[in-house]
Amino acid sequence: MRTALKELRGPHFPHADGRLREGVPEFCVETVGLCYCYAGQGSGEHGSGLTDVNLQVPKGCIYGFLGPNGAGKTTTLRLVLGLLRKQQGSVALFGREFSKHRIACLAKIGSLIESPSLYEHLTATENLRVMQKIHRVQASRIRDVLELIGLSSTRNKLVGQFSLGMKQRLSIGLALLHEPSLLILDEATNGLDPSGIIEMRELLKKLNRENGVTILISSHLLSEIEKLANQVGIIHRGRLLFQGTLGQLRERQQEAGIVTLGTSDDLRALQFLSAQVPEARIENGCITMPCLSSERLARMNRQLVEQGIDVYKLVAVQSDLETIFMDMVSN
Amino acid sequence: MLIGDSVRCFQSEWLKKKRSLGSWLIVVGALFTPTIILAAGMIHRSKLPALYAASDFWTSYWRSSWESMAIFFLPMAAILVTSLIVQIEYRNNAWKQVNTTPLSLTTIYFSKLAVVLVLMAEFFLLFDVAVYASAIVPAILFMDVSYPGAHLPLREFAVDTARYMVASLPIVVAQYVLSLRFRNFLVPVGVGFMTWVGALAALSWKDGYILPYIYTMLAYLRDDPKTRITVSPFQLNAWAVGYALCFTLAGYLLFVNKAQKG
Repeated sequence: MRTALKELRGPHFPHADGRLREGVPEFCVETVGLCYCYAGQGSGEHGSGLTDVNLQVPKGCIYGFLGPNGAGKTTTLRLVLGLLRKQQGSVALFGREFSKHRIACLAKIGSLIESPSLYEHLTATENLRVMQKIHRVQASRIRDVLELIGLSSTRNKLVGQFSLGMKQRLSIGLALLHEPSLLILDEATNGLDPSGIIEMRELLKKLNRENGVTILISSHLLSEIEKLANQVGIIHRGRLLFQGTLGQLRERQQEAGIVTLGTSDDLRALQFLSAQVPEARIENGCITMPCLSSERLARMNRQLVEQGIDVYKLVAVQSDLETIFMDMVSN
Repeated sequence: MLIGDSVRCFQSEWLKKKRSLGSWLIVVGALFTPTIILAAGMIHRSKLPALYAASDFWTSYWRSSWESMAIFFLPMAAILVTSLIVQIEYRNNAWKQVNTTPLSLTTIYFSKLAVVLVLMAEFFLLFDVAVYASAIVPAILFMDVSYPGAHLPLREFAVDTARYMVASLPIVVAQYVLSLRFRNFLVPVGVGFMTWVGALAALSWKDGYILPYIYTMLAYLRDDPKTRITVSPFQLNAWAVGYALCFTLAGYLLFVNKAQKG
């Protein structure tokens, strides 16, 4: 009875604290304590080794995996796909341990890792046919995919004659051919022109919205991820520095902002404010302090005026996401 | 399920060799010797009527066709075709795509090997047909050259072809393993050529039959009185099959245990 219940609830896999997670998996991709060390280097120290990466990609989201070049994004994704032999930690996809259910997991994944993997001596259609045979999908799906990626008119052209952008689009087509539940895209916008990037972004959003495809996309471009993802993971030197929703990252953005004040008597004002905000200080002829809520700022302004101090300016300066990202990776 | 996967994987692998250098080499390599023999016959046309009237025409024509093939072209074709077919994945940066398909590594390994073996079978078949065609073309073109009156020993030719095919197996599988292991095309080809030259130099050595690249040559020279090899043709085949099986197993273990798969 107990076993039957477990089976009904679905598979289970170890959690970070060593416990087994049971029930319907909430994460499409989950890594626990993932470490990787390239020969001749310590993990995560130089280049792209990994240290204790606990990636959690919720089902149905677009997860932007951010990090500068050499941060460990590709290494993580290669480990998730089984392209690198795991050294430490575990990888679960769709709630199942990847190493034990490799084929079943890969059947539900479409991937594009770094540069396109295309047979240049074959045409676009033939490249798709190579995959169509393996995934056992209808031959008509090839036409649909070519239409979707905008390569219908060049379907019989040799891929060797394609531009990098066209190759990138065909690679995405290959990943989409079998209508996967999870798309893993590593630097997928590389080589695309601005309109190509916009088209791809819209395509990915549509796939996510209409077909419920979970997308794990890595990039070193924050602006790109900001426009596409609703979940974000930031990795640097092989360590996951932040993971959460874009909203949570924006909260950090608010927290990281500052308020500058210009008054008729900055010294008196600072004396008064220090009691409430100890971090307040005078900088470049203005009082600066960490960002506060709008209500608190209004109250403070009122109190200063009541103290006989005129407030000439009160400006809340919020850090943009790029500054937060740079702060994270530089600290 | 495993058979279904293997068939699908084979079909997919077979598509990849379209327009590839390896598939062209099969055609060119198989037709080369018969074309040269035909051209030589045309040049020495006056000798053809007597040659075609001989009672052992087919046997001697078959043997002369195989001479350069067994010693030189067959080992070369096995080395180059196998390396070129595996190189398709490296050249197109496609191993990562192959290794993320929902197929077992066993299926991938054996399907690709099966494609190489079928291509080699195509090579032998094309060569046999080309040998026959090159023999009858002069009889069609020239009035004074009659169709060979000698009996066409098809069964013997088929057995001979099968023997050469078995003899080439160690080269094909060894090259397959080397090509999977090394990304740089020059490594498997270089090792293959050096090993072939080594086998050529060991032809006069009585224990030369222990060298895996020597069997196509010995299959041709088995009746040559100058050959010092003491083992029987059956034993030669057994050695060749044994080597092929060992290389297949070793290559499989290396392939599935590779730390970085594309």
